[in-house]
Amino acid sequence: MRQHKSKGETIEVAELDTDFKSEVMKHEEAQGLNACFACGTCTAGCPVHEIFPEYSPRKLAKMVKLGMRKEVLRSSYIWYCVTCHNCEQRCPQNVKFFNILNVLKNMAAKEGYAPSPWVEQTQQIMQTGLIFPLDEALAKRRESFSLPALRSNGKKAKILIGLAGLDKIKAKRQR
Amino acid sequence: MNKYAVFLGCTAPTQVIQYELSSRWVCNQLGIELVDIDDFVCCGINLVNLSQEAGLLLAAMNLANAEARGLDILTICAACAGHLAEAVERLKNPETRDKVNNKLKTMELEYKGSTQVKHISRVLYEDVGIDEIKRKIKRDLSNLRVAPHYGCHYLKPESAFEGFDDPDNPKTLHQLISATGALPVQYETLNLCCGGKSFPITKELASSLVQKKLDNLKNKKIDGLVVQCQTCYLMYNDRQKAIGEQFKLPYDIPVLLYPQLLGLALAGDPKKDLGLDLNAIPLNNLLAKVGINGKI
Repeated sequence: MRQHKSKGETIEVAELDTDFKSEVMKHEEAQGLNACFACGTCTAGCPVHEIFPEYSPRKLAKMVKLGMRKEVLRSSYIWYCVTCHNCEQRCPQNVKFFNILNVLKNMAAKEGYAPSPWVEQTQQIMQTGLIFPLDEALAKRRESFSLPALRSNGKKAKILIGLAGLDKIKAKRQR
Repeated sequence: MNKYAVFLGCTAPTQVIQYELSSRWVCNQLGIELVDIDDFVCCGINLVNLSQEAGLLLAAMNLANAEARGLDILTICAACAGHLAEAVERLKNPETRDKVNNKLKTMELEYKGSTQVKHISRVLYEDVGIDEIKRKIKRDLSNLRVAPHYGCHYLKPESAFEGFDDPDNPKTLHQLISATGALPVQYETLNLCCGGKSFPITKELASSLVQKKLDNLKNKKIDGLVVQCQTCYLMYNDRQKAIGEQFKLPYDIPVLLYPQLLGLALAGDPKKDLGLDLNAIPLNNLLAKVGINGKI
């Protein structure tokens, strides 16, 4: 799947969603976006960008400002962030790009683009309260090291995940 | 006596038991009392990918459960430390806290805002202190050269950690390693992320990041890489083996969790107290250098 426009490719103004930026900035976590002047310090310090140059916080911020809704929300690159926080750590404008990216991912998830590993983890947390299953073998193993038993708190986690509207989340369909 | 609610997270108590084992042993030796709380759930860090609200709600539930018992939280996972500390910071905003508490009500919980969250290394650094650790050392580790790896969430977001270390030029783990008698080796990719949080999405990215650090370390004549997060451990340990097999690159760099190194210096039993036999990359050479010979 193509993620971004390649070099020299024109952006069609008619295809832009001019409300996208304000839609993103309605989220408290994304309110710093206006302070971004696209200096690229975030991208220069991004370890993902070094491996996959197509992934660029600066570019994503610019795409949001331009209104490239489809391209941003459908991009598989928005899910590549390693959560190292370098972008916000180094931003001269104190823009919390990490949080802005999470807003974009949350929007993409709502529109059906959630990657299956995160959906499966969410479902697992609703089962055991943790991202892993708790089975008899693990219980015995822990006991053999005299470590305390782990209690499953899936029900409580499920209530909170439900209150955030995430309990029925579906993964993006694989083609 | 320092007393904390111990927050194990998801991965350490299920996949990297030696981290939990050695952490508990070291805390016991140094007078840090750990209280297990049955009500803890996943910190919520990965949930923020799909819903920042869900991630914050789970964090808040954990904070409230510690607060109800009058305890601060000690995490062994760096990512839990980062996410929970960030939640503490967000929940200082009364509006956000009210919204969250409205939902916590369904579990008969309320978070008032008093819980502090510290990673185990920070507790060792601040509560026990470097000098006190030095005084407790019983086994000579001065033959060891080890590379520190901090883990991103141990240091960032910086605003959540009251400036206890400098994310661009961190020093606490260096000092904690020095305190054991081992030499912390400086290297260029010190601050490079392990890639663990993108691993479920792209194995290629995580492997490339791991390989970058290992390539940097392989000529540094080190006896091991010392990490303080089980996810970093799994990346450098398990990925090291996978990359080695894939590209025929035998790195052979043992990975230790900091409490295992400290535990060695405190004369802990390598197997029973520290679970060093569970580390997949054999530590025989390292152990021989500190006077422990033969199979553990």
